[in-house]
Amino acid sequence: MATHEFFVDMTCEGCSGAVTRVLKKIDVKFDIDLPNKKVFIESDKDTEVLLETLKKTGKTVTYIGPK
Amino acid sequence: MMGRGGLSSVTLCVDGMTCGSCVQTIEKQIGGLPGVIHIEVSLEHKNATVIFDQAHHTPKSLAEAIEDMGFESSAPNTT
Repeated sequence: MATHEFFVDMTCEGCSGAVTRVLKKIDVKFDIDLPNKKVFIESDKDTEVLLETLKKTGKTVTYIGPK
Repeated sequence: MMGRGGLSSVTLCVDGMTCGSCVQTIEKQIGGLPGVIHIEVSLEHKNATVIFDQAHHTPKSLAEAIEDMGFESSAPNTT
């Protein structure tokens, strides 16, 4: 199982809460680092799929790479 | 230019917003949908007032669009 690192422009708990909810819907293991605006997702899904899911929140999202 | 259904206004409950950035994100995202004429989100009242074209949306589809963004939203039964 690969871990992918994403930058998500989150500014508060509401933002990270939104990210939490969209990720729960696609059923993946993830970890959110709010102070550093990072999201770590452990999944075998395609990074494009993960990127699209994160973008649903309307925030700026960039794929950094595998951890 | 009016759509088939004409314009309608609805106030949706939105839960999970905690700051101005959440408000802006919703306004930008939902306001950018086709058929949405105007949106005003209130952090204080935890709701969003949307003016939309009935040919494109229903209060339910708008609530679903907000849910999709990761917030909790529900459409009122009556307007």
